Amino acid sequence: MPADGGKNHPRHERVWKKVTVCYVEVCDVFPEMRDHTKDVARIVRSYDGFDFVPLRIQDAFSSDWWDPIAGAQSLEQLGVDLTDEELRITVNTPLRPASSVEALRTHLGSLPTTTAAASSVQTFIRLLLLHTAVKTGSSHLVLGTSLTSLAVSLISGVSQGRGFNIREETQEEWEPDQTPREARESKDSTLPRSQKEKHSVRVVRPLRDIGMKECAIWAWWMNIKVVGQEKWLWSGSKQDIGALTRGEFNLHYFIFGLEKDYPSTVSTVVRTCTKVAPKGDAAGRCALCARPVQEGIQEWKSRISIRTSSHLVSKDAHQLHTPPSLVPFLCYACNATMTSRSTRPMPTLGPSAVKASIIPLPKWAETRLSEQEIFRTELMSEEQKKNSLEEFLLEDPE
Amino acid sequence: MPPRSCALCNKARAILKRPKTGQQICRECFFWVFETEVHNTITEAALFKPGDKVAIGASGGKDSTVLAYVMKTLNDRYNYGLELFLLSIDEGITGYRDDSLETVKRNQQQYDMPLKILSYDELYGWTMDAIVSQIGKKNNCTFCGVFRRQALDRGASALHVDHIVTGHNADDIAETVLMNIMRGDIARLGRCTLICTQGEDTIKRSKPFKYAYEKEIVMYAYFKKLDYFSTECIYSPDAYRGHARAFLKDLEAARPSAIIDIIHSGEAFEVTEVIKATQKVQQTCKRCGYMSSNYLCKACTLLEGLERGGASPSVVGLLVTTASELPFNGLSLQTNRMQGKLDAVLISADNMRTIPLFQTPSTLRPPMSTFKEQLSSSTQSQVIIDPIHLSTLA
Repeated sequence: MPADGGKNHPRHERVWKKVTVCYVEVCDVFPEMRDHTKDVARIVRSYDGFDFVPLRIQDAFSSDWWDPIAGAQSLEQLGVDLTDEELRITVNTPLRPASSVEALRTHLGSLPTTTAAASSVQTFIRLLLLHTAVKTGSSHLVLGTSLTSLAVSLISGVSQGRGFNIREETQEEWEPDQTPREARESKDSTLPRSQKEKHSVRVVRPLRDIGMKECAIWAWWMNIKVVGQEKWLWSGSKQDIGALTRGEFNLHYFIFGLEKDYPSTVSTVVRTCTKVAPKGDAAGRCALCARPVQEGIQEWKSRISIRTSSHLVSKDAHQLHTPPSLVPFLCYACNATMTSRSTRPMPTLGPSAVKASIIPLPKWAETRLSEQEIFRTELMSEEQKKNSLEEFLLEDPE
Repeated sequence: MPPRSCALCNKARAILKRPKTGQQICRECFFWVFETEVHNTITEAALFKPGDKVAIGASGGKDSTVLAYVMKTLNDRYNYGLELFLLSIDEGITGYRDDSLETVKRNQQQYDMPLKILSYDELYGWTMDAIVSQIGKKNNCTFCGVFRRQALDRGASALHVDHIVTGHNADDIAETVLMNIMRGDIARLGRCTLICTQGEDTIKRSKPFKYAYEKEIVMYAYFKKLDYFSTECIYSPDAYRGHARAFLKDLEAARPSAIIDIIHSGEAFEVTEVIKATQKVQQTCKRCGYMSSNYLCKACTLLEGLERGGASPSVVGLLVTTASELPFNGLSLQTNRMQGKLDAVLISADNMRTIPLFQTPSTLRPPMSTFKEQLSSSTQSQVIIDPIHLSTLA
């Protein structure tokens, strides 16, 4: 018997039978950023047996990418009015962007703060990866988050109101919303049960206990080719204000600064966040980030800050049509992302960027909202009331 | 461009933009929303009941000055039925606290509230000036915080109050959440967003300004022309909290809702049951009787270190680490090994000062149920026994 158990010993088996490398290119968001897709493809080709799936960030707004995943053609074209705190939803907006790139730039360029835009980019990348993992039949989504970047994302999440989802930053078992095809298949009794079962993906971060510098040293010693990452820069902004370090408002610099005077800050942050759990129950899932939504968010917000006077009659009461609001379908952080306004003007995303009051939504959000019963409130006119009672009225009351 | 009208009343001219909501409103509406939000915070948390005696922790700074004004206003307007007191702590910081105490004395006259001032010197025998001259400026905030907490409870007990309110605002709470995450203080993280805290033998302590932005408190004081003392503590620049504060200011500039977002995050999670089970059970200090999670309370531990002298940075580090309730990184003085280390670097001193015994407030003491207990609690000469009703009469 050989010392290592022989060629057929289970220890020589691969942990995962099939590996797909997925890369999301973001250069179409930021002006003058280089496309690194080919560089990444070249590195992936050097590994035996890895498949490569290149994506672009604007796929989040692309029917070509989404329709095969949903199993149905997207019909509704929804927009959100950012000028209204209630984030009113509009259907079939006439001024809809022509391409997915334009839709992406309109969405990001119209958000109220640079942090909102950076946070949205992170969300889009995450959802693109998750949906691709489901589409490729993967059981795990492996991310290269190091201890340092995990600490940064945890503090960033807390700072944006994602305390309820703090657990998902470190470990997550994710299932997509039921697509129209899955909804049809679940009712089809001829299909086997395995085909009808929902597919979940476990998100793992194998490098989460290893610091960023340790990863860098290991990569250097092992002579691993690293593509690298460019800073996300906003056109027309000053370097010291507009420059975002991985979209976390100089959080990296802040954490590194603390680490100098207080070593182990990074590991302490991660260790502390693993000791807490969400409080209370989830009330559904956010339409934008697909993470659990805490119960009672709107009540909490209305309790802690007064935005209307009780003796001021709301204009809405007199409106004939009140478009539905996106707010009940969002988590706290996504809501704040769309409504929290900075006193600083938002830098542009370049000459091709479009700023609009009504912005498109990513495809998964459109599908989710289209399938919800979104109630439109409508004040009944006298004519409408009379028409509904016509067959019972013996004579004209007037 | 015509002047903009108030977003709330639509009548008066808007003269300010609310930092919390960004709304442009008039002065009267600002007073109304600020006071009403505090009133809502108080009523929804059911902080008080009629007849409660409430001590307002007053430092002479903007938060406590505005708190005293608002508490008096709301008490009168909504008939809370509270008896209000001012309670001030003199840490003994020359050029800082002596000036702010004059502000508190003026507040006493303006709001017609009884005032009690308790000093570190009379309670512990040490002023903050003396402490800093001994240990330096790195860990002095730990000493001050521990001493002040106990001093407030002692002052409140002397006033026989049911409740202490402090002027901690939304910015303070957000800083505390960030700080506790960065330092790994899970015990404090689990309770720092609670609006009201109370231990078994301690007085209730609440923060009515929990959701009030610091900028709005300043704005309120400005428009109401309230008198306050505005200098930062001279020993605070090197405090750890300063890092969290600087980061928070940066965040707020980029995203104004960051402060409330962080508080929301802090309220949205809780310490897991597994971790809670490992946390220390509350007991009382064997030296002064104050609440403690160890044999000696933090104040007694720190005071012993000061009294025995030789407080080198490593010793201060040991004392501060034991004082800061770090469940896994914390070092317990209770172990013989640690006590031996401490003894090796400290010079023993006779007649060491100790903190006076803490008397649990009468409102928190359990009622005495038997005649025997009543008798044993008083001397013979002070008791007149009514043999029929078995009650003690003074």
